[in-house]
Order: sequence, then C-alpha cells, then structure tokens
Amino acid sequence: MSRYLILLIINLPFILIAIVSAVTQYKLKHFTRRRMWAQILTWAAILVALIVAQPLYNWLLFNNWTDTESLSLFDVIQITAIVALIYIATRLRAKTDALEQRLASLHRETSIILSSKNNKNAS
Amino acid sequence: MIKVCIIIPAFNESAVIADVVKDVVKQFDKTSYLATVVVVNDSSEDNTSMLARGAGATVVDHIINCGAGGATATGLRYAELNGFDIGATMDADGQHMSADVLRGVDILAKSGTDLLIGSRLIDSSGMSRVKVLGNWGLSFITRLLFGIKSTDSQSGMRIFSRKALRKLRWKTSGYEFCSEMLWRAHQIGLKVDEYSIKAVYTDYSKSKGQNNWNGVNIVKSLIKRRIAELIG
Repeated sequence: MSRYLILLIINLPFILIAIVSAVTQYKLKHFTRRRMWAQILTWAAILVALIVAQPLYNWLLFNNWTDTESLSLFDVIQITAIVALIYIATRLRAKTDALEQRLASLHRETSIILSSKNNKNAS
Repeated sequence: MIKVCIIIPAFNESAVIADVVKDVVKQFDKTSYLATVVVVNDSSEDNTSMLARGAGATVVDHIINCGAGGATATGLRYAELNGFDIGATMDADGQHMSADVLRGVDILAKSGTDLLIGSRLIDSSGMSRVKVLGNWGLSFITRLLFGIKSTDSQSGMRIFSRKALRKLRWKTSGYEFCSEMLWRAHQIGLKVDEYSIKAVYTDYSKSKGQNNWNGVNIVKSLIKRRIAELIG
C-alpha cells in the first residue's frame, strides 16, 4: 500500500472528528458560525494537502523541480503526530477557555452571594 | 420609579473611593431615580471596602483579584440579579464626574439605546496628548480587529439598559474587556451610542490610569482573543 494512502487513512479520523466537532459546537451554540467555518476550512485545507501530496510530489519530480526522496515511514509518523497535535491543541484550547469562563462565573456568583450576606449582617 | 445601579470597580482606591461614592450618592439624591451605588472591591489590599461601605455604597468583595473586566462583570451581574433597570459603570479613581453619569442615565432612559459609551475624545480638551494618542490608537485597533467604530473604546463610563445587563457577556478580564464588550454588543445586535464626557485628571488619577505600555498589552490580548475566537 502506498505510504501516501497510509498517511491519509491514519489522519482521516482526526480530520473528520474535528469537522464533526466544529459543526456540533455550532449547533449547540458554543461556537459562532464564523468560528465553525474557520475550523472547517482549516481542517479541510489539511485534508486537501494530504490528498494532493502524492500527485503534487509526482508532478514536481516529473518536471525536475524536486529531487527529494519519496515519503518515508518516518515522514508518515511525523506528519501524523503534527496533525494529532493540532487536533489536541485545538480541543484543549476550547476546553481551557470553557473552564476559565466557568471559574470566572463561579467566582462572580460566590462573591455576590457572600457579599449579600455580609451586607445584610452589617445592616 | 427607574432603578439605577452605579457600579464602581475598585482596586486599592482607599485614597479617593469615599469621596467618589459620596459624590455619586449626592448627585442621584436630587433626582427621581432609585439609585444604588455598588463598589466591586477587586480584592484590594487596603481598606477600600470599608471606606466604600462607610460612604454609603453596597460593596461586593472579590475573593481573588480578577482585573477591571472581571470586576465590571460582577457589578453588572449584581445589577441584573437585583432587577435594576439601568446599570452604569464609572472609574474609581475620580476621573469621571457624577454629573456625567447622571446625564448618561438620562440619555439612555429617554432613548432606545442599549449601551451608551461616555467618550472622553469627542471633546478631548484637558487630556494630555499622550493619552489622546494612546486612546485613539486603541480605538483604531478595535476598529481594525472587530470592525467597531468608537471614538473612545477604552472609556470606563458606560451606561447599560436592562437588555444589555441581561445579554451582554465577555471573556477577557483585564482592561481589554472595554474593546471586547463593544464587539460582543455588536455581535448580539445591541444598539450602541456615545455621548461626550469630561475626564478630570488629577495627579492621583494619572498615577492610577492606564499608560501607553498597558496599551501594548491590551492590543496583544485583543489580537489573541480575535485569533482564538476563529481557530480555538
């Protein structure tokens, strides 16, 4: 099996999950439409880059514009790791953001409740 | 009777907070509004909280320091929870005049505006050129990043309708919340307007206000927020 195909098959789940997740977050009103489209386009661009990698390499080689080696197994692992890291970083960013908002909200509500009690006691 | 909540976020403002609160209380005593002054003490290390309470304010004490954005959000949430019709924010350092707050509340009560910004730059006489330039620069960047046109995007004097109190939320907690708030207001379709105010710069308020280096931090945070919103 071609290594380019292996690369595509290994990375496809990350890309599909990320796209589905972006649409889900939009439908649940956690994302704006613009944010959803930005994420979909980013992942679609990665998908297109993976699909056209082999034809692009062949074309460059055929026209003598490159003389680099074809994709090695190490390259497949490295590219997969980069895609996985982008996926993880994006998810963590969203989760940290949500957690920060919840913590801020908790602090706000607690401060108001405690201060109301203090104000009542003082009066 | 219209219930008005005047919110004053404060951090280590013991030198002036009592005078600021007394001035606002006195200003609104002469009107038909049912006004409450709420000082959000952002975990001050001095006796801001005690002095504000002594001057007649309701005090909400933050457990940890959250920054101006966090303190303002707490004040507005307090106003929302307690059923106020209008919320108004002003700085605790004495740079805002209570007469301008009252004028803003009057304008908002008569117009259908949801968020009214007290702009120091419509008439900037009395402001130093450095401050004018810094605030103009931040307003320009706010327009560049978010497409929001405002003459003074960093003004701390803002008047909120009940709808704005209920709907307006932002994510940043530092001074950059001023620009983000305008962006969020635009996103949820609030009607935003400006009116001219005068800022009083004493040695104290100059020492407490933002300098242009803080401005660099604000720009950095706003760019991060803008990018995070797209890809995060």
